[in-house]
Amino acid sequence: MSKMHDRRSFLKKGFGVGFAARAAGDVKPLRVGFVGVGDRGSYHMDVCLGMDSVEVPALCDINPWYLERAKRWVEEAGKPAPKLYGRGPTDFLRMVEHEELDLVVCATSWRWHAPVCIAAMKNGKHAATEVPAALTIDECWEMVETSEKMARHCVMLEQANYSRPGMQLLNMAQKGVFGELLHAAGGYVHDLRLVKYDPEREPWRLQESIDRNGCLYPTHQVGPIAWWLDINRGDRFDYLVSMSTKAVTLNEYAALYYGEKSPYATMRMAQGDVNTTLLHTAGGKTVTLYFDTNTPHPHTAEMRLQGTKGHFAGELASVYIEGRSPKPHAWEPLENYREEFDHPIWRNVDPKKFRSARGHGGGVTTPLMWQRLVDALMKGEPPDENVYDAVTWSAIAPLTERSVAEKSRPIEFPDFTRGKWKTTPRIDFS
Amino acid sequence: MTEMINRRDVLRLGAGGLAAAAAAPTLAAKGEPLRIGVVGTGGRGTSLIRELLKLDSVEIPALCDIDEERLARAQALVTGAGKPKPEGYSRGETDFRRLCERDDLDLVITATPWKWHTPVCVAAMKAGKHAATEVPAAQTVEECWELVETSEKTGKHCVLLENDCYYWYTLFVLNLIRAGMLGEVLYAEGGYMHDIRAVKFNTVPNGEPWRLEPAIHRNGNLYPTHPLGPMSWWMDINRGDRFTYLVSMSSKARCLKEFAIREFGPDDPRARQDYKLGDVNTTLIGTENGHQILLYFDTNTPRVKEHLIRVQGSKGVYNQMLEKIYIDGHGERRHNPDWLPLDRYREQYEHQLWKTRGEQARGAGHGGIDYLLMYRLVKTLRNGEPPDIDVYDAAAWSVIVPLTEASVAGRSKPVDIPDFTRGKWKIRPPVDPDRIV
Repeated sequence: MSKMHDRRSFLKKGFGVGFAARAAGDVKPLRVGFVGVGDRGSYHMDVCLGMDSVEVPALCDINPWYLERAKRWVEEAGKPAPKLYGRGPTDFLRMVEHEELDLVVCATSWRWHAPVCIAAMKNGKHAATEVPAALTIDECWEMVETSEKMARHCVMLEQANYSRPGMQLLNMAQKGVFGELLHAAGGYVHDLRLVKYDPEREPWRLQESIDRNGCLYPTHQVGPIAWWLDINRGDRFDYLVSMSTKAVTLNEYAALYYGEKSPYATMRMAQGDVNTTLLHTAGGKTVTLYFDTNTPHPHTAEMRLQGTKGHFAGELASVYIEGRSPKPHAWEPLENYREEFDHPIWRNVDPKKFRSARGHGGGVTTPLMWQRLVDALMKGEPPDENVYDAVTWSAIAPLTERSVAEKSRPIEFPDFTRGKWKTTPRIDFS
Repeated sequence: MTEMINRRDVLRLGAGGLAAAAAAPTLAAKGEPLRIGVVGTGGRGTSLIRELLKLDSVEIPALCDIDEERLARAQALVTGAGKPKPEGYSRGETDFRRLCERDDLDLVITATPWKWHTPVCVAAMKAGKHAATEVPAAQTVEECWELVETSEKTGKHCVLLENDCYYWYTLFVLNLIRAGMLGEVLYAEGGYMHDIRAVKFNTVPNGEPWRLEPAIHRNGNLYPTHPLGPMSWWMDINRGDRFTYLVSMSSKARCLKEFAIREFGPDDPRARQDYKLGDVNTTLIGTENGHQILLYFDTNTPRVKEHLIRVQGSKGVYNQMLEKIYIDGHGERRHNPDWLPLDRYREQYEHQLWKTRGEQARGAGHGGIDYLLMYRLVKTLRNGEPPDIDVYDAAAWSVIVPLTEASVAGRSKPVDIPDFTRGKWKIRPPVDPDRIV
């Protein structure tokens, strides 16, 4: 791997070509270091430990218990013992400077995602981060510029893009089943009040609700939608508007379960209970994003897709395709289209192959994402999810915060590809 | 009721007081029927006449339509029900004015194409009749104000015939809310999502070709009142809260042209025509109390007709599409709960209007709601009670049409929504489900 790739050659190659990460015939394992090995990070690590082609030479966490547990897991997987970095919140800097790594995976709390990725790339490592990749527009640009300058990938680990129905819909969309796409919707509507009030687990989550107001967690929905709608690959988001309701439920919940005297019963929460965002694309498509982690609501899949020939409704797991569905204007199960449109990367999945070392739950989707990423890096090919995806999907949070703060004013969406969206082909897995 | 009621009285009394101000005994007290003239006897007007004819307390002395054949059909419908033949008005587009001038009408109902709704209502009120109009009541902000000011000045009601307010679920959810089951109602979403391309292009029986015209020239949410009616009742709009501003966004327009090319060939004028109305419009409305509404409008795409309604409170949620409900603390788990079946709450919170009139409503238009709509309209007016949906509702729900057009044209800029109640929303009491009987 070389730092000599200049930005021009990277730009010229665009998304179509990966960095020649490894010499031909190179069968050395991919060396992956992990920053943050709590719940999520240790799961990612465990998935990687299940792959013969991956080694884990270094681990970093501020929590010594997590660090020791992760080390034990590496050893129990029969891999060489990793070096541990646990001297404090910025000890990842020491790790990315001193270790010989191909990839640094970041699964810290949100605010450290961009700093870790940027430090990794500046030290010649590819970076992969949990969602969201960045919290501010400045961070987004810094990630793009660092990636371009250092010729290193920055991948956001958005596993939602790889869900089987999501990939089937992508396949159907790309084959024109829905006609020309017009609209999509998706929601992170997930009652997290209990999680927010569990400071032992994720203390930073409540703080986000205290400090910020917008669509703070957009990537799970917008990731798959962006692939369906060819965002950054033929189209791009050009502006958005966002609106939040008032905030009452976190106070009510605290009063109910922790008593009226709990400071959380009266503390001012910035995050409106229900946030809704409308996105517009240069190609005239629209997207609705729901964000609601505060209200009592069963977890539902509010994904929708509408084209000129038909539509899909996630809540019903149903589609209607004009001229193809058996009854006019009547739903049929999405399942009916499985045989013809199951995505090839799912069709060929051997579930036995996709197991984390310790048999963690979590299904096949995340291991499949990891297989795709590790394969791409081993072969020197571009990853499916690139830095432009990472920042475009993540930028929605700060852009919606601005719109909400200014009475739902339309906010221009930065073009992080600097025009390359026009010539970049749609995502292709062949 | 008299035209002498001045505007101050009307404002003081609000819509709730308009009728109460009448010194004269009510029609119901006198045992007299409500005398109704209907303008527009096409598909929709005829449906409403059918429902009116089921009620004993109604007379229909006059009908108006530009199409003599349709008029004759509607007259036959009335005589077929054993009532005297209504006089017909068919001398052209503005012949409704002569109908309004009659001295034997209490109410004029409008079921014309959209652009005539306000002119007919204003003419009726100015001639001393109550007005009731199909949705939407108006097409411009000015028309909305004209309706409000005419109603206040004349002391006559202007009712929006929003039948969705009488759906089983509308009143059921209203009962749930009044019982505190959903907590504070923070958010509601809904839509008019119905493929009516064939209706617009008149390729089906009972087509409404006038609906194509707005799709050529306008871009916004042209038909917002069906979801807005129930939501406004749930969220106390004009009665404790009000719409303050909106943002609206439309997708590109593709489907009407594609339909015309397929149906009529690429050289047909309808296939060459450009259509301005974006296929999928999405609108967000903010309220004074910090609540929010999301509206979809999509009458162009090939789709299943969807009854997308979701209302989210601080203590629970109702989802009409899934016909499911969730109330905090009622599930088996505190975290990651499942939906609860509607049946668990059905009996306890079913609204009395459906309990008592559900049998009569069955078989009527739109699943019974057209009957309940006419039943309530006639009953309130005969009893001298305020109508369930008054002129302020008509204006606030209908003004969404032109305001979404302004927002879409301004790249989804926020647009302020006028307060047609001029501050009365703060003191007007919420809709009382117990009075809807």
